[in-house]
Amino acid sequence: MLRLEAVGKRYGRGRWVLTDVTTGFAAGEVVAVTGGNGSGKSTLLRMLVGLTRPSTGSVSGRPRAVGYVPERFPAGERMSATAYLTHMGRVRGLTTRAATAAATGLLDRLALVGGADTPIRQLSKGNAQKVALAQALLVRPELLVLDEPWSGLDVSAHGVLSEIITEVAAAGGCVVFTDHREAVTSANATRTHRISGGRLSSADRPAGAGHAAAARVVLAWPAERGRPDAPDWPALPGVRQVADGDGRVSLRVAEAHCDALLLTALTRGWSVVGVSRPHVADRAAGPAVEGSAR
Amino acid sequence: MIALVRYALATLLHSQRYLPPTLLFVAGLAVFAGSDNGPLAPVYAICAGALFVCATWVTVALVNVEDPVLRAITVVNAGRSGRVLAATVLAALACCLVLAVVGLGYPLVTGRHPVTPVALLLGAEAQLTAACTGVAVGLVCSRLVIGRPGYSLVAALALVLFLLLARGVPPVNPLVRLLTEERAAEDVVGPVTGYAAAAVVLLLASTALTRFVAARRD
Repeated sequence: MLRLEAVGKRYGRGRWVLTDVTTGFAAGEVVAVTGGNGSGKSTLLRMLVGLTRPSTGSVSGRPRAVGYVPERFPAGERMSATAYLTHMGRVRGLTTRAATAAATGLLDRLALVGGADTPIRQLSKGNAQKVALAQALLVRPELLVLDEPWSGLDVSAHGVLSEIITEVAAAGGCVVFTDHREAVTSANATRTHRISGGRLSSADRPAGAGHAAAARVVLAWPAERGRPDAPDWPALPGVRQVADGDGRVSLRVAEAHCDALLLTALTRGWSVVGVSRPHVADRAAGPAVEGSAR
Repeated sequence: MIALVRYALATLLHSQRYLPPTLLFVAGLAVFAGSDNGPLAPVYAICAGALFVCATWVTVALVNVEDPVLRAITVVNAGRSGRVLAATVLAALACCLVLAVVGLGYPLVTGRHPVTPVALLLGAEAQLTAACTGVAVGLVCSRLVIGRPGYSLVAALALVLFLLLARGVPPVNPLVRLLTEERAAEDVVGPVTGYAAAAVVLLLASTALTRFVAARRD
């Protein structure tokens, strides 16, 4: 488990960017870090992956396989996406063949537009960001750190990113990401921290909220009509998992977006087979519902 | 480590920033080490001087061509920043090796020099000294230590000129002077080996200093 113990950071003799940050990140967690511009989010992430040393305190228990996605992928790279990812795969210890295969698979999954063989500098910002995401996933990370990963990505990539985050966490990895939109953090994170004034405070929802509080929705269609048009499920807000088969579609969706999803499905002619929302009752009864985003 | 060196060299090749120092080196050879028929040692002294300047240039290019964010990604993927720095040093030495082979071979092809094994050994040691010193200077003048490109250029120029021209400052200046003196090759092998060893030590020290400063920066 990755632990930060009384960590503080200042650059040179400048102001303290972070002060007295103590927290831990366990396997399987998805942690969101929010905060204003220049609040120290990126510094915290750089410290988690080991790029920055804390000025005071200590960071311990960092796993070996770390994936880091910076906020901006530099625009100047002349190599092609495949060549760059193959190099990074080899740096990770993969063989050339395995690295190329992993790169091709990830670029397909993220739907890189503009060609895997064109220089990265000629790709659009969103597509370059997909390359940045892919390089962190060539080897399944035990710690995946993403700096504002949703900015610049198109809507269909949003769904894939949420899926990837879920997968990494499900495989026992820990995911830490920053974003400033509550809707995004609450749909994806099991835990939310807020940085302000250099201090990290918990902005947690009650236990069980967030990730675990995903509702499960099973949809089918009336036998007398054919299969209705399916919306692009992963692109709908809050959708984390889609399984299609056996004449039905089952989805896991963040509770906040469950009603909207049901409405969309019903208007398209789908029929609701079942909905399970395990935490709605708890939250309604709970005294101090934090749910500002809800 | 091989993967990191390969990546560093690929980045340099794609950027074409290796071209100016390479052209300078070739031009230097063509002008100063062209057809001649004296002993080999003075020719190799000129090659070593040219290689020293070009090694510094190539090393700075190698570090500065990689965007800091890309370097950060590479460091995370490699696991430790020390490995990436070591790969940079090895990649720079690989570039120098290519230039050194050209520098050692060129006089043999174009001139009529009495070739002896000792003269070749002297030449090789001189190139090694120049390469290691050049890479050492390049590292401490790169972005890892000096953040601003302008200062970086000024520092590199100043250091290169100082080490090349200041009388008696080891290892490059005395080496060049020793080789240009008309002395028997056998007599200077000892001191030249000493300068080569000093250059290797200098490179190690420079790498350690760069690592220390770069780590403090972050």
